[in-house]
Amino acid sequence: MRKLLTIAAALGVAMSVGTVADAADRTVKIAGFGAMSGVVRSFGINTEAVLRAAAKAINDAGGVKLADGSMAPIEVSFDDDRCNAEEGISVVRRLASGDAVVGVGPTCSNVAEPLFGILQAKAGDEGDSGLQFPIFTDTAIKGGLAKISEWAFRNVPNESQMYKSLFEWLATQHPDAKSVYGGVEEDFAHSRFTWYKVMKTRSADAGYEVKGESKWLLNDTNFTTQVREMKRAGADIIAISAHPFTTCGVLKEMARQRVKYKVLVGLTSSSSLETLNGCAKQAEGIIIPTSFAPVNPDAVAAADAAAALGGSADLHSAAAWEIMMILKDVIEAAGIQATADSVAADRQAIRDGLASLKTTKGLLGEIQRTDEGEAVKPYVYVHAADGNWAVLHDPNT
Amino acid sequence: MSDFWWSVIDPVQSVLDGMMFGSIYALIGIGFTLIFGVMHKINLAYAAASIGGAYASLAAFQLLSAPALVVFLCAAAASGVIGYIVYICCFRFIPTERPLATLMASVGMLILIDEVVVHATAGMPEPYPAMFDDVMIDLEPFWVRGDLLMIFALSVIAMLTLLYVLYRTRLGIATRAVAQQPSAAQLCGISQQRTNAATFVITGALGGLAGAMVGASVGILSPLLALPLTVKGLIVTVIGGLGSIPGAIVAGILVGGFENVFQYFRGVTERDIYVMLLLFVFLTFRPQGLFGRISTRD
Repeated sequence: MRKLLTIAAALGVAMSVGTVADAADRTVKIAGFGAMSGVVRSFGINTEAVLRAAAKAINDAGGVKLADGSMAPIEVSFDDDRCNAEEGISVVRRLASGDAVVGVGPTCSNVAEPLFGILQAKAGDEGDSGLQFPIFTDTAIKGGLAKISEWAFRNVPNESQMYKSLFEWLATQHPDAKSVYGGVEEDFAHSRFTWYKVMKTRSADAGYEVKGESKWLLNDTNFTTQVREMKRAGADIIAISAHPFTTCGVLKEMARQRVKYKVLVGLTSSSSLETLNGCAKQAEGIIIPTSFAPVNPDAVAAADAAAALGGSADLHSAAAWEIMMILKDVIEAAGIQATADSVAADRQAIRDGLASLKTTKGLLGEIQRTDEGEAVKPYVYVHAADGNWAVLHDPNT
Repeated sequence: MSDFWWSVIDPVQSVLDGMMFGSIYALIGIGFTLIFGVMHKINLAYAAASIGGAYASLAAFQLLSAPALVVFLCAAAASGVIGYIVYICCFRFIPTERPLATLMASVGMLILIDEVVVHATAGMPEPYPAMFDDVMIDLEPFWVRGDLLMIFALSVIAMLTLLYVLYRTRLGIATRAVAQQPSAAQLCGISQQRTNAATFVITGALGGLAGAMVGASVGILSPLLALPLTVKGLIVTVIGGLGSIPGAIVAGILVGGFENVFQYFRGVTERDIYVMLLLFVFLTFRPQGLFGRISTRD
């Protein structure tokens, strides 16, 4: 009998040790992906730094609570999709065949659009063999992409609302400004969409006369003709929907040709260090709506944590911080197991949890979630002042 | 001034701007054409090396706050070094009877240089110094950008220097000898490899200057510039005539001007279609280009 008891006790100890070891071994794997090479590499660098910083903050506070009540750390990986659709799809197919429970990315809208197309369109549709892998996007900002799949979610700012509000505010601040002229990077999905579908229509809605637009391409180097058109139009507000490289090229050409304007408006993505690095002097005064600025202790802490890991928190990468905090809450509420056998169930639970969200906490305040998986984020208007981005106006206050 | 007059003045102004910018294309075209003339090979890494050199010269600007002219010279020097590395890696040890191998090696080098720049800068655009960038010469109703004029002048000086080196120095004689009769040149005691290496260094320096001029004209450098410059350089080389330096100069300026004309009349989205059509027209009706001639090489 004593022998039997000893064996039973030994087995019990062994089993309990095994259980403890299992809990200790479990990690919640979150797979980041984005552009880590090519000319948009800086976006990927920032997102990776912010994801790792947020994971560190969560892990330092004990990790994530699993279904059995044990705590598990978050493990972040990051893959390069080169801002290329085929590469992005290949990366996500590989991630989906692994043990990551959710993907965070991509950087580029031209990757997000086809990528969301390979996910299952309607969750639970057995006739749809699309990937059942939740993806939460931080950067790809082209409007309305999350509705492509019920497995796709985004935490990107709603540019339509931001520019609507901005042009309405400008109408009150600069009543003498009556007309708008645009500058658009024609071959970049985000820039093009934002000018034609957002800035142009929203400025017209706010009562401005839209006098036209000058067009250039992402890798153009000579903007003399376009800026001459801009100068000839003589508009009061110049709105530039382009990324930092050509924005700077155009701003420098505008300075040379002495283009006069009352207000200069920029693209959300240009409210970054890149613009100030490239042409701080010429960008002085440019106004941009953004969903991130280090204006409160949480936002400052996030920015500092990202900087400590070699990144910069801006409107795109800061969204990755918010995503990590949202995922922590969803994972804890959904009660995932984070075992090798529970990957599919964990992904489903996370998807369902994300889909059920109505509001989440953001760095600038509460974020509304739409039924289509999009976010309506709080925002501020920043302007370039003395080589830095400074908050010009907070519409929430 | 009436709209009619603006509709006359604007295209002329566009052509002027384009032609001055075209001097940069000419510098790139000269590099392609000189290497082709000497080695009968295309170095597709040439424009990337030019931009790489311009990036390397940023060290002089950012660390030493060197004046623009010194930065431009540093770009030429750095690009000359990169040119030599490209020669060693992609041409020196690959047998001449395998032209495809050297071509693919130079494509690989183009991508490698581009990625090195991207990784070193995180893809961020970097401000590049310019000279006379705030000068606008007003010739009512036209105007001329001071920096473009300076770029045009520097490009012309560089081209004249190159022509002097080619036609008035021993190195130039050796280069032309290797280009025309490599076997005979070797029998005369001219080292083919040394001449080829010198060609890569000289064209590299010229390319570095072109890269610096692009940076100066835009005011910033971006890794985005390498591929379009490669394409423009090849177009200029074909239109000017493979192996013809005067052809590259004229074609560079013509392509710059035409580019702006097409942009003015057909818009930026169609501009490159017409530039490519121009290339096809030359390839079909005048494949030897403006100044090309049948090769006399053995």
